[in-house]
Amino acid sequence: MKPKTDKRVDCLGLYCPEPVFKTRMELDELKAGETLEVLADDPAAEEDIRALVKHLEQELVSVSKEGNTVRILIKKVK
Amino acid sequence: MSAKKKILYVQTSGVDRPERAYAPFILATTAAMMNIDATIYFLIKGITLVKKGEAEKIKMGSFPSLKDVMNQAIKAGVKLVVCEQSCSLLGIPRGEFVQEANIVGAATLNDLALSADAVLCF
Repeated sequence: MKPKTDKRVDCLGLYCPEPVFKTRMELDELKAGETLEVLADDPAAEEDIRALVKHLEQELVSVSKEGNTVRILIKKVK
Repeated sequence: MSAKKKILYVQTSGVDRPERAYAPFILATTAAMMNIDATIYFLIKGITLVKKGEAEKIKMGSFPSLKDVMNQAIKAGVKLVVCEQSCSLLGIPRGEFVQEANIVGAATLNDLALSADAVLCF
């Protein structure tokens, strides 16, 4: 079952550091408890967004890949 | 992660090395996005990048102009500081720098380096 997401940020076609910037901006818009889905195809995006989430002390719910596209779910915990 | 981490970027390359100009701004902006306190210290020729009107002239490949990248950093909360002695060395008066860049002394650089969790030089 696909987890529920409150917002999606499309970073397809964007390269470092834009996916990080966009993800941060969207996370700022979310309320605590809401979930953000990030789609990216930049090969650097997965590790970068993992690092971002760690430093922002938010929760990385899941990371999945379909071809070159990575789908990252982040829960805003605070 | 209780206390906010700090990274100090030391920029010594100037307008004559545009390929070395983007990295500190992009890294510092990314640091700010990660809730890391980011400061760029412009030293020696590095100060020419924050001289008014210079960043507008730098644009490489598919990158935006250096001015756009600098503005993005400022908006993200990156602090820009300029070495006073480097201004004297290169004969650039204090008022010639972008408004957001503060002129500071040698002791400040040493203090920033010691209080940072990491220092990166370009």
